[in-house]
Amino acid sequence: MKNKVKAFRFSTWAVSFALGLVFLLSSWSAAAIDTIAVDVGISVFKTMPIGIVPFVEPKENIEWIEEKPHQILTRDANLSGRFEVVASEKFNLALFSRSHVKHYVTGKVSKQEGNLLRVDCYLYIAQTKDMLLGETYVVPQQELRRAMHKFFDLVIKRLWAERGVASTKLAYVSKIDGVKQVVVSDYDGYHRSQITRDSSISMMPVWMKGNKGLVYVNFKTHRPHLYFKKFGGVEQPLFPSLDQTYSPAVNPVTGELLFSSTVDGKTDLYIGNLNSGKARKFAYLKSNQTSPAWSPYATEVLFTSDRGGGPQIFVMGKDGSDMRRVTFMGRYNERASWSPEGDRIAYTSMDNGKMNIYTCALDGSDIVQLTNNAGNNEHPTWSPDGKLIAFASNRSGTYQIYIMRKDGSNVTRITNSGENTSPTWSFFYDDLD
Amino acid sequence: MKNLFKFALMASVAGLVFTACSNPEPPKTDPEVVPAEEYAAVQAQESDSVVAQPVLNADSLAAVKAKEEAERLEAERARLETLINQIMSEDVYFDFDRFELTEKAKELLAQVAELLMKETRFTITIEGHTDARGTEDYNFTLGAKRAMKVKEFLNAYGIEGNRMESVSYGKEAPKAAGESEEAYSQNRRANFRVNIRD
Repeated sequence: MKNKVKAFRFSTWAVSFALGLVFLLSSWSAAAIDTIAVDVGISVFKTMPIGIVPFVEPKENIEWIEEKPHQILTRDANLSGRFEVVASEKFNLALFSRSHVKHYVTGKVSKQEGNLLRVDCYLYIAQTKDMLLGETYVVPQQELRRAMHKFFDLVIKRLWAERGVASTKLAYVSKIDGVKQVVVSDYDGYHRSQITRDSSISMMPVWMKGNKGLVYVNFKTHRPHLYFKKFGGVEQPLFPSLDQTYSPAVNPVTGELLFSSTVDGKTDLYIGNLNSGKARKFAYLKSNQTSPAWSPYATEVLFTSDRGGGPQIFVMGKDGSDMRRVTFMGRYNERASWSPEGDRIAYTSMDNGKMNIYTCALDGSDIVQLTNNAGNNEHPTWSPDGKLIAFASNRSGTYQIYIMRKDGSNVTRITNSGENTSPTWSFFYDDLD
Repeated sequence: MKNLFKFALMASVAGLVFTACSNPEPPKTDPEVVPAEEYAAVQAQESDSVVAQPVLNADSLAAVKAKEEAERLEAERARLETLINQIMSEDVYFDFDRFELTEKAKELLAQVAELLMKETRFTITIEGHTDARGTEDYNFTLGAKRAMKVKEFLNAYGIEGNRMESVSYGKEAPKAAGESEEAYSQNRRANFRVNIRD
């Protein structure tokens, strides 16, 4: 692996400079080569310690059917990739000081009429016990988890001045009674609901703009075709005059859909409008193109082309101009997605028949391997805050959905039964409420 | 999804109109042949055609005629079903991440082409498939390229393009389960669905 990187590096250097300079620069190149390495899951993440103290409960015991509030918050904190949890049974300044905990969360729970829980949640400064945040939720116990997610996103907003993802969702494909169906769950795998109920395969779900519904592929016509379904609405076919449509990608600014259509063995990218149902060819290229992905502000598009034989990742402008190749290392690089911060892409690469997830900079440099030696790992999707990547892996024997930090650390499984693949992360929910 | 299709051929005594319908069951590799007498009886009951209308008290000649006709149809039906099963069982295999036809694949396709030349009412759908390795997206394009190669070969052999349709299933419809090379090699394939046009 390292040798391949070296070779690639050297060639780009050689190409980048005028021939006359090569002799002069050869010593520089050698110096540059030594700094390139492919890292595997070494965390360079900056985390913030946070204290989590169990909520005070009333004398008359609550029958917990779900996890308790502090347990839900602990899971949110661990999944967020932003915090290092310091658990304590009660407020403990010595422990918090020792662990560099500047803030802690706790609260109290009481019963209310109609089988409701009143949950008061607080964020405190450890040293002074000043309250930074106080929120009250009155909910049935089944809604407790979502209330805690809401509170946790407020904690992130207060401490990081950024939006958290605890209230976001994932769409993915679940095998139900032997048939792939599209499902949606909260980002932590809870509250799964089934979106498609077909006897034929449904797959490749992506989120419509504003999280209003999903676009996905179904095989009911015995050919892959795109459909969309608003939540609570009915399924609508998309672009029925085009043959074999798949690989949908929603423009985050306009809501338009970029996708692949295959006619007689040739696959091209098309762009279409969900409301008008009109679509046109996006780029006229000789090669086959699939797996489109938009840049965060929809100015550019990543896609996969087979012009070199195997799949490689390319980028071009939203008008199809200025096409350039991104990946050079390895023979199989596919399904890129653009980080919300805009600086990197995540993609799936195959080596010796095994799939693994990588990220790299937009010029193809600074390649980081995020998964290794743990079955197949594929279909990376960024959290909307850019901190995390969800993906599917069969490391446990069956395909399940996992979340990791964007540097490959802190891998957490969020689905447990059946077979789950192809996750795509929703947009933010907090600005929709 | 077991997207293999069984074709029930139904012949009506009067019109000799063949219709093909599909349902998502595995193909019959060993078709059960309905005994001719039983078939004739069913046909006789179902038929409302003026030509072969068997009346309850019809004379023996008409009954014999109807029976012969039914037997002839049944033989034709069985023959077509055998042919269809033959074509549907002729899977063409590919190398990993390749879509070129192997020599063996070409031999097999030549046989399919011969069958299609004889039975001009047959139209086919060529399904391209891949093994489980790789992404869903790229495997759709790969399956499409495989199906296209098969279509091009049959076209060059003399089968009109309008009798053939190609579709990619990517890695969504494996024939063999598992993660062994044996399973993979079974799944890197193109196979046929047969329709009969009037």
